[in-house]
Amino acid sequence: MLKRSLLMLVVLTLLVSATVSANTITLNFLEVMTSPERTALLRDLIAEYEAMNPSIKINLISPPYEQADQKATLMLNTNQDLDIIEIRDYTVKQFVNNKKLTDLTPYYEAWSEAETLTPVAIAAAKTVDDTPYLVPQAIFIKALYARTDVLAEYGITEMPETVEELIEICRQITDPSKNQYGFAWRGKGATMKFGDLFASVCVDDVANSEFIYSEDETFFLDPGFKQGMEAYITLFKEGTPPDGINWGFNEQVNGFVSGTTPFLIQDPDAIPLINNLLGEDKYEVVPLPVGPHDFTLIDYGFCGMGIPSYSKHKEEAWNFIQWISSAEKNGYFNEHWGPLPVHRTTFDINEHFQGKHYQAYRYEMANPDTFLLKTYPLASAKWPGWDVVYETDVQSVLLGRMTLDQMLQKWTDYWTK
Amino acid sequence: MREQSARYFFLIMIPAFVLLTLFLYYPIIQGTVIAFQKYTLFDMTNTPFIGFDNFKAIFTDINFNFGQIMLNTLIWVCVSLALQFVLGFILALLMQKPFRGRGIYSSLVFYPWALSGFAIGLVWAWIFNGQFGLVNDILLRLGLISNPVGFLSNPSYAMASVIVANIWYGVPFFAIMLLAALQSVPAELMEAGKIDGAGPLRRLFSITIPYIKPTIISTTLLRTMWIMNFPDIIYAMTGGGPSNSTNILATQMINKILKFYDYGQGSAFGVVIMVLLFTYALLYLRLTSGKEETF
Repeated sequence: MLKRSLLMLVVLTLLVSATVSANTITLNFLEVMTSPERTALLRDLIAEYEAMNPSIKINLISPPYEQADQKATLMLNTNQDLDIIEIRDYTVKQFVNNKKLTDLTPYYEAWSEAETLTPVAIAAAKTVDDTPYLVPQAIFIKALYARTDVLAEYGITEMPETVEELIEICRQITDPSKNQYGFAWRGKGATMKFGDLFASVCVDDVANSEFIYSEDETFFLDPGFKQGMEAYITLFKEGTPPDGINWGFNEQVNGFVSGTTPFLIQDPDAIPLINNLLGEDKYEVVPLPVGPHDFTLIDYGFCGMGIPSYSKHKEEAWNFIQWISSAEKNGYFNEHWGPLPVHRTTFDINEHFQGKHYQAYRYEMANPDTFLLKTYPLASAKWPGWDVVYETDVQSVLLGRMTLDQMLQKWTDYWTK
Repeated sequence: MREQSARYFFLIMIPAFVLLTLFLYYPIIQGTVIAFQKYTLFDMTNTPFIGFDNFKAIFTDINFNFGQIMLNTLIWVCVSLALQFVLGFILALLMQKPFRGRGIYSSLVFYPWALSGFAIGLVWAWIFNGQFGLVNDILLRLGLISNPVGFLSNPSYAMASVIVANIWYGVPFFAIMLLAALQSVPAELMEAGKIDGAGPLRRLFSITIPYIKPTIISTTLLRTMWIMNFPDIIYAMTGGGPSNSTNILATQMINKILKFYDYGQGSAFGVVIMVLLFTYALLYLRLTSGKEETF
């Protein structure tokens, strides 16, 4: 008796699930910039979309951040069921090389909101082969954070507008006996994104080059670059805690919040974190200081959504991407996550992004003649390892294990040989 | 009858064999094959065999001196192992005699062993932080130093700092294993030793240690392999820096894969580690078992 009713139950369940699945389409969506808060945010948005589209079910896959890019690569390369994939500046090239992404040109052409994307967002979308393989969701660019309360104690009320001024103020206020330093050094992870704001901005030719440097063109042996690097090393020796050599993002923010290092260069996603730890009023965000040639470099980072080339539900996937990429939804998403939205219209309709700490970023994006949009050659095979090479070499020079000239020659060889 | 039991024997072996093949032998073979291929995530459509090029590349890498990495690995393994063993042994001896609260005490002692290596690394990175760290704070308050010490940013201290974290993590393993072994030493033997006039030290070296020698050999052998294959703590604390001073074979392998996307060279490091450990295990077992026969 029991057996029979169990069997009936199984048959019924199978029947029901078969009919349900015949009508619903499940889209598999892999996110990579995972954090508990962001996953919850995405789930809310997905629930909203599902409620409006009862025939669509979105299965969000959220691997831990550290392994997420690996997981994405693995799933794509083994053609596992995926319809929407989050892509980053670091991964887009290899996904395209391995022929795993759909060219979204026809979809963009039919998308009315494509017109309001910011220039940075458009550049991000077309990173590889000038072809849009993704719809950017978030933009990361850097600005200078200053602890106005700490600086006021030293009588400093004017924020630095040039790299030289920044270094000078840092040296001036540094007093190791009081544990007071100037600049929150970045010693670990993506360190070139900080060093180049001091060295590469001193090279006039960078302004006309496609990349900050690449296999085709390097500037390390340019006298300007060397001078900039020397100034950067001086900043380390005379305006930064020696421990900075081992500082990553968390330590940088900690140095800033504690007041030990009242200057910090960071992306906008640091704002919610700092507000949380410090409140909104003890600091200011100002545009990046410029180099001797009156420009600085805005190396933009981004992430976005694409459709795997082998997806069986491309139309449905696009509908979701288009919905979540609207000025309104994208604004909501970034407001609660931290980076910058991708539509210029968002800055007009979203109250959060009209807040004072975001104006420096808005200013930078509106003045591309001073704040040059330049990226690294993400498509180059030399790029992935550059992070560790740059980091290790700068550490070696700071520790006196290598001379500056040796390093510059070595870097030239790294890129050109 | 005998034939039947042999068949039965093979039958019950199949699941284990299949699992081992799938999850151990196949990855080892595949990993070794990749070490001889140009295999980067950048271009997976083109993965030709390139002979020993990956090995040449890692041995002659101007960015990451292989000799330095080998030396770091040797220091990391030897110092960690020796101190973990000695401290673990002392802990086991202390916990051998029953005392009040031994249960709670021993579970506290064994706690680190249950944590993930990466998490331990993150915690110790803050403890040793050169600006806001606990150790610096204590030393400053005690007046032992006047300026914070860059434990992880100064190459002279970085290796010592990551080793301290590793010791903290690894001591419980030896304590658990050796305590279990110690409890198997027959009380009569100790009594006999006492009656013959052997002091505590003599009893330790002449009775206890010889008696638990098999445990000592197997645990030290296992730990050597695990420590050598354990990049977690270093990766979280220094990432191999500053200036390569804590980079070991296992962290460089991870670097090659996670940062350079170069699975070929990463696998080459894997093969180097495997060959070294295999040779070491053979030598170690031969040396230690040879002596036993002369008893």
